Amino acid sequence: MKKSLFQGIIIALVFISIWLCLTQIKWVSIFEIEKKTDRLEKELGELLIKEFEKTKIENIFVTNTIDSLVTKICKANQIDRKNIKPQIIKNQEINALALPDGHLIIYSSLISKTKSQEELAAIICHEIAHIQLNHIMKKLITEVGLSVLISSITGNNSESTGEFLKIISSSAFDRNLEKDADLNAIDYLLKAKINPEALANFLYALSIDKNNDVINLSWISSHPELEKRVNYIIKYSKDKEHAKFQNILNNSTWEKLKAELNKIELEN
Amino acid sequence: MVQIKEFAYTPKEHESEAACNSYLMSLIAIIVGLPFPIVNLIATLIFYLGNRKSTYFVRWHCTQALLSQLSILFINSFGFWWTISIVFQEGSITNNYIAYIIALFLFNSIEFIATIYTAIQTRKGIHVEWWFYGTLATTFLNSKK
Repeated sequence: MKKSLFQGIIIALVFISIWLCLTQIKWVSIFEIEKKTDRLEKELGELLIKEFEKTKIENIFVTNTIDSLVTKICKANQIDRKNIKPQIIKNQEINALALPDGHLIIYSSLISKTKSQEELAAIICHEIAHIQLNHIMKKLITEVGLSVLISSITGNNSESTGEFLKIISSSAFDRNLEKDADLNAIDYLLKAKINPEALANFLYALSIDKNNDVINLSWISSHPELEKRVNYIIKYSKDKEHAKFQNILNNSTWEKLKAELNKIELEN
Repeated sequence: MVQIKEFAYTPKEHESEAACNSYLMSLIAIIVGLPFPIVNLIATLIFYLGNRKSTYFVRWHCTQALLSQLSILFINSFGFWWTISIVFQEGSITNNYIAYIIALFLFNSIEFIATIYTAIQTRKGIHVEWWFYGTLATTFLNSKK
């Protein structure tokens, strides 16, 4: 029996040694996995963003103002600004979503409904966190499968494009991913000297207004439950040290942004 | 790793055939059961149970075929669930994962080749003992005596 045990241990050790030796080779670079994943993400992003082309808001003041908000957040958090591509969409739904390849879609109604620039910055930070943590690709791979994603790019299938958008926009991320994005958003906000309680305030306001059917479900019913979410956001941000909070935009710029968007929403 | 040894007696034709089938069973099950790692173990276990009352030569080879599937079962199960976790949770393929899969294929291939070789030799009535599994099979059968 001792002999068998000894031989068994030798076999296990041989397997582990072979595995450990093989880990020394950079297989990810050899098989160009990162390159291929990046290419897939880029092509998926391009495919999905096309769906928003018709409703894209081209108003220079609006796009510049949102750009400056995003730039400030990125700069404060050492995030490569080129990786975040914000786009404002004319839509009655209160929603914002992150797409593959760093595309950040903000619906016009969401900007109109936010009570302060801090709330808008908080939502942007939350979506940037999803982008930075690669949650969008994880979600798509989990729900659709890698093979379907690849075939949708090569096959130019418009039906699947709609399906992907539905997955990204209508359902919440996994409980842990959502919490990760919230907590990362708080860190981003604090580094950008923005009061993170704005995120909790926005979620709280949504919970009161939950009967409003234009509010997108991904924000209102996202896991973990809204109340818990507000609580941990407040608890996490209270424990953090921070510099004095500052406004990113002038009050007049903020007001003008909302006025411009109201005008655009009223057009036809 | 694989040794030809003298058996206590010369097995008859039907014994060689049954012993050879125990190895073939695991080979077919590997092909049918991929990528589920449990199928080949179940197949050899059924064959082993079916030959419990057979001659010593047949029982010995059924035991070796069954035991040889055990370590592969652990290795393959770990690889299988790691793959599942990548597909459904993490979504990222790491160096460690690729290295594990290569090691897994290497071990499976060695086991596959050894099984084919043993099946051929056993069919001829030649007794083939594997390192570790042969010792374990002898210990296991002697303890049951």
